[in-house]
Amino acid sequence: MLPNHNIHLKYKAIYIVGAFCLLLILVQGQAGKKYTGGPEPYLLQLPPNFPKPVYDFSHNPLTKPGVALGRFMFYDFRLSKDSTVSCGFCHQQFAAFGHFDHALAHGVEGQQGNRSVPVLFNMIWQKTFMWDGGVNHLEIQPLTPLTDHNEMAMDLKELLRKMQADPAYRSKFKAAFGSEEITSERMFKALTQFVATMISANSRYDSVMRKLPGAVFSAEEQAGYNIFQEKCAACHKEPLFTDLTYRSNGLPYLPALNDVGRMKITGNTDDNLRFKVPSLRNILKSSPYMHDGRFYDIYQVFDFYDHGVEVTGTTDPLVKKGIPLSEQEKRQLYFFLNTLTDYSFISNQAFSEVLIN
Amino acid sequence: MILRIFISYACCFLVLNTLFGQAAPSAGPASPSLQLSFTHVMGQQPLVRKTVTYTNAAGEPFTISRFRYFLSNFSVEAVNGEMIPLAPAYFLVDDAIDSSKTIRLENIPAGQYKGIRFLVGVDSIRNMSGVQSGALAVESGMFWTWNSGYIMAQLEGHSPAIKSPTQEFLFHVGGYRAKDQVLKYITLPFPRPLTINTTSMPNLNLVADAEKWFLPDTVSFKKITVIMAPGVKAKQVAGNYQHMFRITGVTKP
Repeated sequence: MLPNHNIHLKYKAIYIVGAFCLLLILVQGQAGKKYTGGPEPYLLQLPPNFPKPVYDFSHNPLTKPGVALGRFMFYDFRLSKDSTVSCGFCHQQFAAFGHFDHALAHGVEGQQGNRSVPVLFNMIWQKTFMWDGGVNHLEIQPLTPLTDHNEMAMDLKELLRKMQADPAYRSKFKAAFGSEEITSERMFKALTQFVATMISANSRYDSVMRKLPGAVFSAEEQAGYNIFQEKCAACHKEPLFTDLTYRSNGLPYLPALNDVGRMKITGNTDDNLRFKVPSLRNILKSSPYMHDGRFYDIYQVFDFYDHGVEVTGTTDPLVKKGIPLSEQEKRQLYFFLNTLTDYSFISNQAFSEVLIN
Repeated sequence: MILRIFISYACCFLVLNTLFGQAAPSAGPASPSLQLSFTHVMGQQPLVRKTVTYTNAAGEPFTISRFRYFLSNFSVEAVNGEMIPLAPAYFLVDDAIDSSKTIRLENIPAGQYKGIRFLVGVDSIRNMSGVQSGALAVESGMFWTWNSGYIMAQLEGHSPAIKSPTQEFLFHVGGYRAKDQVLKYITLPFPRPLTINTTSMPNLNLVADAEKWFLPDTVSFKKITVIMAPGVKAKQVAGNYQHMFRITGVTKP
C-alpha cells in the first residue's frame, strides 16, 4: 500500500513540475513577444530535398523589413564610390545573379578584376565564399566587393555617414532593426537577409526528384542525367550540384592573370590552382564559365573536360585523364543541364530590381 | 507535504516572475571596475606620430604614421592565483584617438588581485562568426576583406631605408588559424596587490612601447617592408610586440 502510494505521489510530482515548467515557458514566451514587438518575421521556405543550411539564422532572424532593406541596398548604386555600380549591376537576376556576357568582373571608373562574377543563390548552404574561399562568413561577404577598388571602391565610414544622412534609409533601418541608427553590422545583416532568401530549388530537375505529377525527364534528359551521375556528380554533388570543395580541374594556367586560386588564401602549395567547385544549377543561364570566364559556351566546357585538361601537381585525380564525352553524350548532358534552369527563380518578382531615386 | 511545499514555492516564484520578469535590470550602484590607461612610447622617447624620427634596432631611421592594436579576453588574477575571466569586451586602441587609450573593465568581482592577463588581438571565434559591432565593426579597416580575419595590430610609417617610391612600411599583423596564428596572451603582475570593489576602483597605468616591434628578432625594413597577410613575417613581428606592454603604476582614476 505504502510503496504504491509513494509511486503515485512521485508521478503526481512529475506531472506538476512538468506543468509548472510549461507554464513558465509560456509566460516567458509572452513576455518576450511583448518586449520585442519587432518587425514582421519572414518565413523562409527551405526545399525539402536540401540539407540543413550552414548559415545560423539565430543571430540574424529574417524579417520582412530586413529583407526589403537588403534588397534595396543590393540595387542601390549609391553604395559605390561614384554612384555608378550596385551589387545588382554585376549580379543580374536573369543570369542567376551572375554577370551575363562578362568574363571578368568590372567596377567603378573602368576598373577590372581578374575573376568572373560568381552566381548568387543557395548561399546559406555555402561554408566559405569567393572562388578561393577567402571569405569565411556570409555576413561579411559583401564587404569585399563593396570596398575593393576594382569593384564598388567604397569607403565604409563615408557610406555609413551618407546613409545616416538619408531619411529614407533611416526609416528603413528603423523598420528593420527598431531604431534609426545605421551601423555596418545592421547593414551587412540586412544584405545577408536578402541574399539568404535567394533560394533556387525549383527547376524541372527538382520537380522530377520530388515526383510531382507529370514531371518526368525526356529520354535524352534521362540519358544526360545518367552521364552526369557517372562523370560529374562526384564534384557537382546533388542537390546543390557542388560539394563546396576547392579543386584544380586542370584548366590551363594563364600567365596574364597569374591566379593561383586557393593558395593565395592558405599559403599552401597543395592549394595551387584550386578554385571552388561551382554549382551547376542555372548553368545554361550563367555563362561565361570557369573562375576567369574563359568559356562562353557550355560545349567549350564539355570539350575542355574531354581533351583540354592540363595536368599539374595539384590537378584533381578525378579529371587527370580528362572526362571523355562523345558528341551524343555532350548533347544529352546539355539536355540534362537544361533541366537545372529554375525559371521561377530567375523571374521571381521578390528578387527583381527596385527603383532607386 | 513535500509536494505542497514545492507547489507553494512554485506559485510564489511564478507570480514574482510574472510581475517582475519584464522589469529592466535596475541601475543600482556602479559595478567594481578597473581602468587601464595606455601611454605610447618609442624606447625612451614619447611616441609622436609623423614629426619625430626614431631609429630601429637595425639602425634605420623612421617615422610613425599609424599605431593601432586590439585588446580583448581580459582576466584578472586573484591573490590566491586564480585567474578570473571577465565578461567579453573588445577594445581598439588607436594612437590617433586619445579617448581610445583609456579603457574600463567592468563587472569585476570584488576582491584582491595581483595581476592581469589579456589578448593582443581578437580571438579566433570572433574572426569567424560573421559581422561584429562596436570596436570590432569592420569600418575601422582593421579587417582583411579578401582573406577574412582581423588585423590584430598595425604599425605604419616611413623610412629612407625603404627603396619603394613611397618609402612606406606597413605592418598589418593578423592570422587566427593555427598555422599562422599571431594571438598573444600578455600576463602582467601588478606592482602590489590591488583591492577592487565598489569603493575602490583603481586606474592602472600601462606603457605600450612600439620599439619592441623591432626586437629581439631584429626587424629591418630591408627585409620586411609590407606585411598584409598572415604568415612568417607577421608571426615574427607578433613574437616581438608581445613584449611591448608594461605596468608603470597605479593611481586613482
